[in-house]
Amino acid sequence: MRRSGSNDKNIFPMKIEELEKLLQNRFENNPDLSFTVYDHENKKIAVFFISYIVETQWVHESLVKTLLEGNEPWTNKAILNNIPLAAAAKKTKLQELLDGLLIGKVFVYIEGEDAALSYLLLKKEKRSLGQAETESLVLGPKVGFTESLITNLNMIRWNIRSENLVMEKYTVGKQEPREVRLVYIKSVANTSDINTMRQRLTELDIDNVDDSSVLMQYLEDSSRSIFPQFLSTELPDRFCYSISRGRIGVLVENSPTSIIAPSTFFSFFESTEDLYMRWNVGSFLRILRYLSFLLSTLLTPIYVSVVTFHYEIIPTSLLVNLGQSRAAVPFPPILEVLILELLIELLRESGARLPTKVGQTIGIVGGVVIGTAAVEAGITSNVLLIVVALSALASFTAPNYLMGTTVRLIRFPMIFLAGTLGIVGIVYGMSFLVVHLLKLTSIGRPYLAPIYPFRWEDLNKVIFRLPNDFQNKRFISYRPKKAIRYSKKDARKRRDIDE
Amino acid sequence: MEINVKKKPDLEFRAFYVFFLIASIQIGVGILGVPRIVYLEAEHDGWISILLSYFYIVLVVWTMVYILRQYKNADILGIQVDLFGKWIGKILGTIYLIYFTIGLLSILITYIEVVKVYIFPDMDNYILGGLLLILAIYTVLGGIRIVVGVSFIFFFLTQWVHFLVIQPILNFDILHFQPVLKASFNEIVSGAKSTSYTMMGFELLFFIYPFIQNKQKTNKATQTAIGFSTAKTLVLTVVAVGYFSASQLTRREWPVLDLYKLQTFSFLERFDYVIVAEWMMVVIPNIVILMWLITYSAKRLFQISQKTTLYIIAIILFICTILISDHFFIQKIIDLSSAIGFWIVYVYPFLLLPWVWIKNRSRKRKGNEKHAKA
Repeated sequence: MRRSGSNDKNIFPMKIEELEKLLQNRFENNPDLSFTVYDHENKKIAVFFISYIVETQWVHESLVKTLLEGNEPWTNKAILNNIPLAAAAKKTKLQELLDGLLIGKVFVYIEGEDAALSYLLLKKEKRSLGQAETESLVLGPKVGFTESLITNLNMIRWNIRSENLVMEKYTVGKQEPREVRLVYIKSVANTSDINTMRQRLTELDIDNVDDSSVLMQYLEDSSRSIFPQFLSTELPDRFCYSISRGRIGVLVENSPTSIIAPSTFFSFFESTEDLYMRWNVGSFLRILRYLSFLLSTLLTPIYVSVVTFHYEIIPTSLLVNLGQSRAAVPFPPILEVLILELLIELLRESGARLPTKVGQTIGIVGGVVIGTAAVEAGITSNVLLIVVALSALASFTAPNYLMGTTVRLIRFPMIFLAGTLGIVGIVYGMSFLVVHLLKLTSIGRPYLAPIYPFRWEDLNKVIFRLPNDFQNKRFISYRPKKAIRYSKKDARKRRDIDE
Repeated sequence: MEINVKKKPDLEFRAFYVFFLIASIQIGVGILGVPRIVYLEAEHDGWISILLSYFYIVLVVWTMVYILRQYKNADILGIQVDLFGKWIGKILGTIYLIYFTIGLLSILITYIEVVKVYIFPDMDNYILGGLLLILAIYTVLGGIRIVVGVSFIFFFLTQWVHFLVIQPILNFDILHFQPVLKASFNEIVSGAKSTSYTMMGFELLFFIYPFIQNKQKTNKATQTAIGFSTAKTLVLTVVAVGYFSASQLTRREWPVLDLYKLQTFSFLERFDYVIVAEWMMVVIPNIVILMWLITYSAKRLFQISQKTTLYIIAIILFICTILISDHFFIQKIIDLSSAIGFWIVYVYPFLLLPWVWIKNRSRKRKGNEKHAKA
């Protein structure tokens, strides 16, 4: 819609017939443009809008009725004073008219005036608030973002009631413009990070954005990496938690997923629930998630390498069991593992695509029936069944769905390395992974912070969570403007025993 | 060629990381064989040799830091050009370059040999050599920050290994060390000299100095690193001598690996497999740091882009790993590397010192003259 430069000229005053022709021309083959001309006190008044994205009832009751009932000849000034509707504006350019029509504005033009008046009366169909589907919390707020940007902004405003909360507006997409909001707290967030994000948003030269996850891939530092570099979340709770700690959020119109940057590798294993729990329980859960990341990437490769090359590693008593369960299996270990891993992936994918009720049935059929049958048929061994099930289970503990899928995928190259080079291959794969993670950045901030570059003060927020009196600083690896949340002195008063 | 190094400020790192760089480049494949090598020279008085070499290295590092502090922001390549002129300076720099390449090659092929001896006797050299070089290229492409990061993270990923020494310590025999000072002074000195290959690597300081953010802490960080590596070497040597009998120790090529494999768990036997694989994480920082040094020096000396050197050196090393698989030839390369290293690392800084003094004095005199004229 933003093609010609002539759209940016003042077009008023002009004849109403000309205006109608001009607009009909632009909305060719579109029966939805409603252009009505009223004759009132010898003055022609045009009211035009696109029918179904506007609250028609409001147009009739507040606008047209008042217009026709008046006794004086209307002027723009008179309309602005007499019509009981807020958010009025004068528009003079054709481009403004076109853009306005598309986002649900109603225009009033009185012949001879030098501007048209616009009123925002949009009607947007949206679903009501509900629980987030991809992320869930046991404790804490459960509501999720919806597809409506206004609803989302509303939720964030109610969560962070501070005048420092900024929601900058951007439009992304040349052909189908879409509203994007950059959300941050200006007294906390790092200025250079904000500028980087602004620059990336404004320099984006694409025709359309399908969803926030697509936008995320455009904005990321390395689009070739398997790891997501921005956190995405459906929970306003988590979004606000990150924003208030000095990170930057991006919301996209019509998308329930928000983007948070900068993010570290460790922030993908963080859940706001760690904060809601007691600190020791929270720390335990977090360490459990890291452990499950390792388990999920390493367990099956270790099985493959041990069974293929290094059965000496396993003590004799354990080896006997393993040997017995594998005795009937005719395949080499790597093939056996791949078959079972593929089975699990199929189950997961079908479970995700099918309706919830059927999905459960499939889960039981696939997991129990096929699993036991596969062992009885001698395709896989019992031990492997445990190993694969365990590592699949572990991969679902990541609170972030994107990271979960990444974790599941890294396992496959690891299996291949283990199948060809044994334990040496596994260590090589791990080393490669570490180097890769080291090289990644998230809007210029290192991905492995605070491990490298090392920040001792941040470790208590990342690897485990210490009680609140140790949390007097923000996550300083992101270099927030205000690093201190509250003074340490007040948080930890030292007292003698019997005082 | 500029004597002082100009670089972007975001390439700088804190002196804190110098500890990890030096500690990880010192501990490499060399340490696996140290107890035996020292034992061959100084028998059970090897621990004295290691302490002796430690005190010597402390002096060397002091000299190095002293030399570096005479300049604002220079590395050894610039200093040599400043002292000896463009041509001799560059030739001396090239010797460093060659020394690093040979060092890198020796690390690479020794590790491949260890893997072949312990895990895969039939494995072709090019598989592991190629994989390691790919990883090295991938890392070095990230620049100095990533190289530092690798040495930092891999340092922590490999420290658990030392807990495996607890088992042999429990079966330790103090009698193996008596009588003390049985070896002659000459034997102890040659024992100290034999550790030179293992303890080498702190010459790195000569090159990374311009990149250090808080330079006043350089000496402290380096000395700590050297103390740490020496302590590691000392403990391993003492434990090996205390645990193995004389004949057992002299027959083992890599006694340290045999020490580590004594520990067993109910779910894990044969720790040597795990350790040999894990040792890759010790070797990778070595390879990566040396690779970076080579590309960086080539750029400083001959203005070749770092990427070009990186690929060329990787290809040369890859061909070398394919060709070299004979144990004695590998030993020869290690000997060559340690022979060049001995002069470059342990003697050269002391030779450099008087030159720096002379240069300083003449510079001061010139300065004074200018001052007088003005």
